[in-house]
Amino acid sequence: MSSAIPTTTDPDAPLCAGIDRSLRHPVMFFLTSGAAWLAVALVLGVIASAKIHSPGLLADCGWLSYGRVFPAHLNLLVYGWGMQAAFAVILWLMAQLSRKPCTSAVTILTAGHVWNLGVALGVVGILSGNGTGMPWMEFPAFTWPVLLVSYFAIVVGAFIQFRVRAAGPVVITQWYLLAALIWLPWIFLTANLMLHCMAGNPVMAAAINAWYKSALVFLFFTPVALGTAYALVTELTGRPVASDAMAKLGFWSLAVIAPWAGMQRLAGAPVPYFLPYVGAAATALLFIPVCAAATNLLRALWSCRETCAASPALRFITAGIVALVLLAAASVLLNLPDSTLRLTQFSLAGYGFDVLAIYGFFSLVMFGAAYFIVPRVTGREWLSGRLMVMHLHFSLYGLVTILLVAVCGGLEHGFNQENWQQPWLRAVVSADPYAVANTFAWCLILFSNLFFLIHLTLMWLRLGLERALPMLLAGARATSPSSAAAAVPLAGAGQAATPHH
Amino acid sequence: MSLSNQPPDTVDSLHAPASDGTQAGRPCPSVNSLDTPAASAREPHRADPGTEPIPLWVLAACGVVLLVAGGILDLGGAGRFFDYQTMFRQRYERTPAPGAVDQGPPPKEALVAYMAKGSKIYATKCIVCHGPEAKGDGANYPSLVGSKWANGETQRFAMIVLNGLQGPTSSGKAYPGAGMPSQAPGLTPEELAGVMTYVRNHFGNTTGDVITVAMVKEAQKIAAARPKAGQQVTAEELTADHLKALPGPTLDAKAMVDPITLTAVRAAK
Amino acid sequence: MSLRTFILALAASFGVAWLAILVIPFFKMRDLAPIPLPQAKDGASVFFPKRAGRIADGARVYAENGCYLCHTQLVRPTYAGNDLYRPDWGGLKDDADRGDTRRETNAYDFFGETFAQIGVMREGPDLSNIGRRVETLYAAGGDPAAWLYAHLFNPRDNPQLWKSTCPPHPFLFEKREIKGSASADALQADAGANHEWLPDSDAKALVSYLLSLKKDQQVPAALNFAPKKTDGAP
Repeated sequence: MSSAIPTTTDPDAPLCAGIDRSLRHPVMFFLTSGAAWLAVALVLGVIASAKIHSPGLLADCGWLSYGRVFPAHLNLLVYGWGMQAAFAVILWLMAQLSRKPCTSAVTILTAGHVWNLGVALGVVGILSGNGTGMPWMEFPAFTWPVLLVSYFAIVVGAFIQFRVRAAGPVVITQWYLLAALIWLPWIFLTANLMLHCMAGNPVMAAAINAWYKSALVFLFFTPVALGTAYALVTELTGRPVASDAMAKLGFWSLAVIAPWAGMQRLAGAPVPYFLPYVGAAATALLFIPVCAAATNLLRALWSCRETCAASPALRFITAGIVALVLLAAASVLLNLPDSTLRLTQFSLAGYGFDVLAIYGFFSLVMFGAAYFIVPRVTGREWLSGRLMVMHLHFSLYGLVTILLVAVCGGLEHGFNQENWQQPWLRAVVSADPYAVANTFAWCLILFSNLFFLIHLTLMWLRLGLERALPMLLAGARATSPSSAAAAVPLAGAGQAATPHH
Repeated sequence: MSLSNQPPDTVDSLHAPASDGTQAGRPCPSVNSLDTPAASAREPHRADPGTEPIPLWVLAACGVVLLVAGGILDLGGAGRFFDYQTMFRQRYERTPAPGAVDQGPPPKEALVAYMAKGSKIYATKCIVCHGPEAKGDGANYPSLVGSKWANGETQRFAMIVLNGLQGPTSSGKAYPGAGMPSQAPGLTPEELAGVMTYVRNHFGNTTGDVITVAMVKEAQKIAAARPKAGQQVTAEELTADHLKALPGPTLDAKAMVDPITLTAVRAAK
Repeated sequence: MSLRTFILALAASFGVAWLAILVIPFFKMRDLAPIPLPQAKDGASVFFPKRAGRIADGARVYAENGCYLCHTQLVRPTYAGNDLYRPDWGGLKDDADRGDTRRETNAYDFFGETFAQIGVMREGPDLSNIGRRVETLYAAGGDPAAWLYAHLFNPRDNPQLWKSTCPPHPFLFEKREIKGSASADALQADAGANHEWLPDSDAKALVSYLLSLKKDQQVPAALNFAPKKTDGAP
C-alpha cells in the first residue's frame, strides 16, 4: 500500500475523507488564527518600517515606538503565524500519511487556544514595554513554558499517529516533519533555559540567541516547508520523488549542517574565535541541502508545467522554493568573513534575509498548502481564482522589493558604515531610500494578505463553493487535472472530474 | 528501507513501488490520461521512481560551495577549532587604518604641553593648600607668586616638591604645622615635570624655561641620595646643597613634544 | 531504518553541534578568571571592569525599548570591521590625558548585564563608548545627562542630528506643572505654559546606564592588541 496522499480512486478514499473530517477543526483553527496574527504582524511591520525613515510618525504613542513595534511584528510573524501554520500542516500531513484520524482534537484545540493566549500576552508584553530585549525571544520570559507545553499537547497526537501508522514505506515528508518535531523543543528549550534560567557570560548569551534564530529557521521552518512541498508536489504532479538519493542527501545534510549555523552574526565579538567562522561556513554549506531538495522539487514542477500553472498550491510552492534557492545563494555570498560579512553583519541585509526565509520561503509554501488542504477539510471549494492570484502576485512584488533592498541596500548600507572617514550621518542617510522601499514592500504584502484573509475567513465560515470542480487558476482548461483534489488523471477527452469525497 | 515492520521492500526507495497502478508512479496526467492498472503497465519505461542519479551539475555546485566553506574554515589563517580560551585571532595586532597616517595627538610646543599637563595636577593637588591663584592664604600656606625658591634654581625647587619643606620659606616666615608634605607619591615624572614647569610659568611667574622629564628623574636620584632621604628639606639644606640647576639637557620652550609623553618629536610630515 | 535508528542519528547529528558550540562554551565562559593587571594606577590588581551607574535597571530599559535594534555595542577587531578606525567609537583617538584610548570589546566588558546587547543593526552609531563621547565631545562643558535626556526626548531637535532615525521617546518623560522654580532636570523642550518636562525613573535609569558605557580603560597585556611601538618612545 502506498503511503502517498490517497486519491479518490483509492480504496482508502473513505478513510481519508474521515481523516479530513476529523481534522477540520484543528487545522482550520490553526490556519485562521495564524492568518489573523499574520495580518496583525503585517500591520505592525508596515508601521515599524515606516518609522525607520519617518521617526516622527505616531511618536507620542509609547506602544508604537519602533523599539517595541518591530519586535512585536517579528515575534508575531514567527510565533503567531509561522508556528501555527506549521502546526496546521503538520497535523494534516502526519494524519494523512499515517492513515490515522485525529482523535485528540479537543486537546489540540485547547492547546491551540493556550498557544494563542501565550502569543497575545507576549505581544502585549512587548508593546507595553516589558520585552526581554533578546532578538526573536522578546516575549516576556513567563510565556516560554506556556508555549512549550502547548506545543507538546498539539503535536503529541501527530507523533503517536506516526508510531501506529498504517503499514507502508515512509516518505521523505515524514522524515522532515518528524525531525522538525524533535528539533523544535530541543532548540527552544536550550535557548530559553540558557538565556532566562541560567547565568552565564553575557556575550555568550548573545551568541546563543543568534544560534537560536538560525536554528529556528533552518531546523524547524525549513524542514516543515520542505516536507510539505515534497508531499504536495508528488501528489499534485502525480510523479514520485525523482531522485531518492538526492532527497536523502538533502535531509541528512540539513540535519548535519544546520545545527552549526548562526553564530556568524557575532563575528568580531569576544566569543571563542572559531565559533563565528563555523557558523559562517555552516550557513554557506546550507546551499547543499537546499540545492538537493530544490532540484528534486523544481524538476518535478518543471516537467508538469501545465499542472503547475493551473494549481494555486503548486504556484505558491514553486515561488517558495525559488525564494529558498535565492536565500541559500545569498547565504553563500554574503557570509564570507573578512569580506562580505563585515558589510552585512549590521546592515539592512540581515532583516531582509530573515523575511525572505520566513515569508518568502516558509509562508509561501504554507499558503500553497493552505490552498490545498482547506477544501479537503471543509468540503468546500475556494471562491475565486482571482483572489488567489492577487495574493500570490502582490506577495511576490513585495518579496522581490525586499530582496533587492536586502542585497543592494544591505551592501550599500554596510559599505557606508565601514567607510570610517565619513561622518556617521552619511551612512544613516544612505539607508533612507531603502527603508522607504521596504515600507512599500510591506504595504504590498499586507495588501496581498488581505485577499488571503478574506478568502480564508469565508471558507472557515463554510461559505465556500459547494462544487465538484476545484478552483483553478487562469490558463487551466475546465477539464484539466485538479488542483485541490486528488491528482486524479482526468481524461483529456472531456471526462468530467470525479467529485471529491 | 522502510520504517514499517514489514519485510523490507526490494526497492530501496522512499516511494512505494507501483504495484497496483493507482498510486504515484503513474504518469503525469497532462501527458497520459490513463487511469487503469493495465494502462499504467503499458507505460513507456522511464527510470524507476526514485532511482534517478544525482545530476552532475548539482554535484559541481555543491563542490563549489564546499570549497567556499573550506576557505571560511581556514579561520582567517590563524585560529584553532574548539579552542574555547581564545576570543581573538592568534597573533592579532591591529592593522593601521589604510590611507591615513595614524599620528596620535598632534605635537605641541614644549612649554604649552608641559603647562597643560601641569595645570591639571595643580588643580587637583596643589590648589588645596596654595589656592587657585597660588597666593596661599597668608597665615598657613605660602604664596608661590614671585617666590624666590619657586623661580630660582631648579634643583632647589625640585627638592622642595619631591621631599616637602620644614621650617621657614624663602620669605623667612615660618609657617605653623608640619610643613609641606612631599608631592612625589602618586605622581609620574611627567606629571612632576609638568606641575613644576606650570608653577614657574604661571600665576605671574615668568621664568620661561621648562623642567624636563629627564631633569625630574635626575632630581629623584638626587633626592634618594640625600643623607636625610625621605625627610623634608629645610632652608639650610637647600642653601647648602641644592643651589644649582638640575642636570640634564635643557629643552627649548618652543620645541615640539608629544603632549602625552612630553618627549621631543620631530615635526610630523 | 527503524524509528529508533532515525532518532538516534538525529540526536547524534544535532547533539554534537549542540555540545560543541553551545553547551561547552556556555559553561567555559561562565567563570572567566580576572586577568592580573600589574600596571593599574588605581591600585586594582586585576582587570575586571566595573561600571558605575544603574547598570541593571538601565540595561532593562534599554532592552525594553528596543535600542539594540538600531545600535550595537561591539567594537570589532580590525580583521572583522573598521570600527576601530573611527575616532570616537572604541575610545577616543585624542584623549587629552592618555592619547589614543581606542580598543576592541572584550569578554569582560558587559559586567553587570545578563545579556550583552551586541545589537542587530547599525542605524545609529555604536554605543560602547557613548558615555565617553557624550561627556567629552557632545556635552563638553555642559551636563552630559541633560544632553542625553534631550536626545531621548526628540533626537531631531538637535540640529546636528537632523537626519537621525532614532525615534522620539516622549513616553519616558512626564509633563509636570512648575511649582516654584524649574527643576534642575527639566528639559529645554517646550512643555506649554508653566509646565516642564521631567525624566521619569526609566529615563533616569537609561541615561545612567548610557553614561556608564565607557569601554576604553587600560587593558592587560593579554588583551592589548595595539601595534608594538618600535621607535623607543616610553
